[in-house]
Amino acid sequence: MDNTFVVNIIHRPEMVPEYAEKVTGQGKAEDIGRKALLTESLDIFKFQQETAHKNGLKVTIQMTYASLFNDEACELAKKDHEQYGDEIALSLLGLPCKEFREKYKTKDFCIWMFSMEDKKSIVDDVFGKFYDRFGFYPESTGSYYMDAELTNYIKEKYPMVKCAVATCWEEGPKAYHTCNNSWYTLFDGGPWNPWIPSKQNTHAPAANEAEDSGIVAIPHLSRDLLACYDGNGSNFGTHPQNVLRGMIYDTKTWEYPYLYNLIDQYRYLAKFNNGYSYNMMFVGPGWLNKMGRWEQPYELLKKSYEDGMAYYGELKKKGELIDMTMAEFADFYRKNKSYEEPECALWKDILYGSDKQLFWYADPYMRACVNMDQGGAVVDLRPYASKIKWEVGIGTKHVQDASYPFLIQEKYRAGYFTHYAGEGTVRSAKVSYNGEEVDLCLCRTHATFSQEGKKRILTLDPVEIEFYDLTVKIGTRIIFEEGSSNIQHERTILEMSNPDAEVEINEYIVACYGTTEYPEDMTGITLGVIGDNGEKTINYEYKCRDEKLEGASDAFAVIPAIDTKVSLSTDSKEGLGYIEEGYAFSPMFKLGYKKHISDKEVIKTWLNLEKAN
Amino acid sequence: MAQSGKGKLNYRCPLCFMRDLDIDMFYDKDKKEYYCLRCQYTGDEADVLAKNEIIRIKYGRMYDRITDFD
Repeated sequence: MDNTFVVNIIHRPEMVPEYAEKVTGQGKAEDIGRKALLTESLDIFKFQQETAHKNGLKVTIQMTYASLFNDEACELAKKDHEQYGDEIALSLLGLPCKEFREKYKTKDFCIWMFSMEDKKSIVDDVFGKFYDRFGFYPESTGSYYMDAELTNYIKEKYPMVKCAVATCWEEGPKAYHTCNNSWYTLFDGGPWNPWIPSKQNTHAPAANEAEDSGIVAIPHLSRDLLACYDGNGSNFGTHPQNVLRGMIYDTKTWEYPYLYNLIDQYRYLAKFNNGYSYNMMFVGPGWLNKMGRWEQPYELLKKSYEDGMAYYGELKKKGELIDMTMAEFADFYRKNKSYEEPECALWKDILYGSDKQLFWYADPYMRACVNMDQGGAVVDLRPYASKIKWEVGIGTKHVQDASYPFLIQEKYRAGYFTHYAGEGTVRSAKVSYNGEEVDLCLCRTHATFSQEGKKRILTLDPVEIEFYDLTVKIGTRIIFEEGSSNIQHERTILEMSNPDAEVEINEYIVACYGTTEYPEDMTGITLGVIGDNGEKTINYEYKCRDEKLEGASDAFAVIPAIDTKVSLSTDSKEGLGYIEEGYAFSPMFKLGYKKHISDKEVIKTWLNLEKAN
Repeated sequence: MAQSGKGKLNYRCPLCFMRDLDIDMFYDKDKKEYYCLRCQYTGDEADVLAKNEIIRIKYGRMYDRITDFD
């Protein structure tokens, strides 16, 4: 593919926009059937449609349940479909309206949180209503999150559906906290760019046809891969009013270069993805409220939407953007991508002024984040290889929590730096010499990306470690091979101030499991170290035990709670493998491999992920 | 004392925003000040706007149009 930047623009006529009733209706008794609210909602939809079309852009109109009861909304959609080629699709957002509340006797509105019985009933209801209105079934649908069971049901009953908005990247505990612990969209751990979800778990991409859910999933917005990881996701995405929400604009000039920087950095990702890059913009009508939104008056909200569309329109005129409807995009994606082709993003800070660089990688076996500011440490790891069955909604074990579990998450489980005691989750290495020890997490560096066949390679700028009487220069390559379900770390001693010296390299992973900031029960985890000299195991009981094995080939942990086996392996026979159990104040486990190496020597280790059962 | 309401714009608490919390403030028309339900912040509109500018300090490249992503 030759630099193809695809954009999906989505609008939804929402008769009771999120926030509108709650925020602008402050001081009034709740009335979601207010005529003024309905009129304003339609006006916003019209404005959004006109703005996109004015800039020559095609739209996917996601009809909401509420809008299917509104003649004018349906007529507008039909007209724009005929005139501009817009796709008429169906959103599972925007359920709230008088009709829905009377029928379902609830104020719930997030499709993934309903019981399975209700999900089926609502899907049949809205798809049926859509058919009655338009005479066909939609090819695209979506919500903020679509659980696998929901998608499987939709695909079974309505096989023409080929595309869905299926998650919001890193919208989880951070967004929950930002909203004063009242916004229950807990679904961290998914891909940031489109993917084919597996039948088993939406977040985890399908590895083959048998796992294919039958849809192409797109994320809700294209989000900043650095800012969203350590902040409120809803401030840093291709959503002009989200950028305003983050106060990332000049109050005097009403300019927001960050929005364009974000779009452009997404375009730049073509470099790592065989020429393909992607953006999604989906602004709900509540963000264009005539009453203004937080500090921003309506005029600024309106201007930002017009500017966002104008920028996309300008790119299209220059031949640098292809606008597609969701259904068109699904066809494009199927034609141009394979199941195992990974999504890669070498991402730099474009907002705070730091020099930080992250590398995100996602394929059917894992999602991983490598942090160059911490010497190329893996700071986030989701074991997609497990394809964890994780039902959500009322009646399941996870009513709200739809996040894909992590093994490593540096923000929720400390990473390198901990207070006082214990260790945090990270995959890094320590270098020791004469009683001194340095963790590569403290060696800030940058990476360059290259591709060799099925391998994506990060080559880190070499780092220097200064001991009291020895300086060591170390090079690192981190290799992700399609279909391998592992991450290879290759360390090379490039130079030593004393070429006859030997240093010890300790390659390690500290991990646990969870979806939130709070610890889970580690009981039931089995740790083991194995090699030609036998096998040693520890059943996790928080007893701070450890085991070692000379010549070990693998150190592993089996975590039944998330059906995952993680291991650290090596091709060397001369080192020491070890496992460490944690304790109550440090509910982690550690797998490692130590070896003495000298100048110009290379050590290779692999972090492997498997389904445990 | 009458109940509080929203001001002409829906200001958030600047101090809570600094710790990644979006908390709408309410307006006390008797004291002519906004106040936060969660933390101890109070201030008039000018103070809120001034503190909102301070918030932006963290965005070191907010005004830059970036074209080099290497």
